[in-house]
Amino acid sequence: MKTTIKEQDGNLVAILEGRLDTAAAPQTEKDLKAIYDCSGQDIILDCTVLTYISSSGLRLFLGVQKTAKLKGSHVYIKGINNEIRNVFAMTGFINLFEFK
Amino acid sequence: MNSPFNAHVEELMDQFRERLPLLKQLEQLAFQSLYRFLKQQGLYVTAIEHRIKDEKSLQKKLELKGNKYHSIDDVTDLVGLRIITFYTDDVDKIAAIVKNEFEVDWQNSVDKRKLHQLTSFGYNSLHYICKLPKSIVDNEAINNIRFELQMRTALQHVWSTIEHDTGYKGSVQLPNEYRRQFSRLAGMLELIDDEFSRLRTTLSDYRRQMQALVKSGQLEEVPLSSDTFRHYLELHPFERLNERIAAVNQAEIYPASPLPFLKLFKEFRMETLKDIDQFIKDNSEDAYQLALSQLAMTDLDILSENVGLQNLCFVYVLKNGGGRPGIKHVYDILNGKQESNGMLAEIILQQAANLPFMHNNL
Repeated sequence: MKTTIKEQDGNLVAILEGRLDTAAAPQTEKDLKAIYDCSGQDIILDCTVLTYISSSGLRLFLGVQKTAKLKGSHVYIKGINNEIRNVFAMTGFINLFEFK
Repeated sequence: MNSPFNAHVEELMDQFRERLPLLKQLEQLAFQSLYRFLKQQGLYVTAIEHRIKDEKSLQKKLELKGNKYHSIDDVTDLVGLRIITFYTDDVDKIAAIVKNEFEVDWQNSVDKRKLHQLTSFGYNSLHYICKLPKSIVDNEAINNIRFELQMRTALQHVWSTIEHDTGYKGSVQLPNEYRRQFSRLAGMLELIDDEFSRLRTTLSDYRRQMQALVKSGQLEEVPLSSDTFRHYLELHPFERLNERIAAVNQAEIYPASPLPFLKLFKEFRMETLKDIDQFIKDNSEDAYQLALSQLAMTDLDILSENVGLQNLCFVYVLKNGGGRPGIKHVYDILNGKQESNGMLAEIILQQAANLPFMHNNL
């Protein structure tokens, strides 16, 4: 699992690459520190090259969203594949996020 | 050459400039205290304005009425605050808070609402002249400065602002015809203010009545609205189904608001809370089976609090012949229209395909 953070058009973008499973979640959480430290910019979780998400991954996304909301930031999820979209749908989290 | 009167005005202006740092402190302290008191009492207002009188305006006032003031401390509105409320009842409530928290100089405070003749209308506002007590700031210099606090409703504020803008209270006497127009408008605003207050009281009574009906289980008498649905949620109507679904993977339930589903209930033509209650009773078992068919093959152990409700909606749509377009419509309402909603609807349809309720329906 690889996480790259960059700033783009005033937004904070996290590019998530690979499998976000229970084993990868702790390191990914550390890699997302800049996202947790955001100060009002919009956040884009770019999942174009994310192939899998587990419950730990969902918890991470929910954590990012909770922190961002407190700081007035919006979280957008970009480019998820159908399999991951279905995970969001069947757990009931799909309408908690905004998708691009 | 300066006349003794001009020299007096200049002396007062010098005193004002000297006091400015203290006035600034007083302005901030009074505003912050007021903001805190209103927040503690849960009172929402349109605005709290605050200002220090600007030099030009003070100079003008002193040139007109300078003889009245021996020292600048006799001018009571160097610091001014204005609270603009939504409702006329709130003016009295705020006045009571102010009496309690600030020292009010009753000799100089005016309830302009009571100054009108029985047959006239006009500028209605409550003005208190106050001081900050030692409980707010222990600084004698600040404690001794008086400030003005105006309390009025938004409509009184509109009246006052327009009156000021038109110069109605200026030196030129307006013909009776125009004065009458002003009076008619003031009377109308006063009536609207009273009606808004009455409406608020009526709505509060209605809410309490609905809340009591929900608590006593008389759901057929409670029309469905965001307000009554909120009360209904206090009974945790989806909890049992959620717990059953969560047990599949020993999942944690993550809090989520079910209010976005209200729009769907309206589309399902549900009119009372009894309809929602019946909808849960009629579809819970099938919703559980549908959730089971989705989750049993996964190890997902975190679920939204809406997981039961969304499956109830899918089952309801499928039982009523909505098919794929109906499920897609549910997603369109909940997620906003997206191309992928069709794909998600297709998956639900496949997962439901072998469940008994789909075959009973055929």
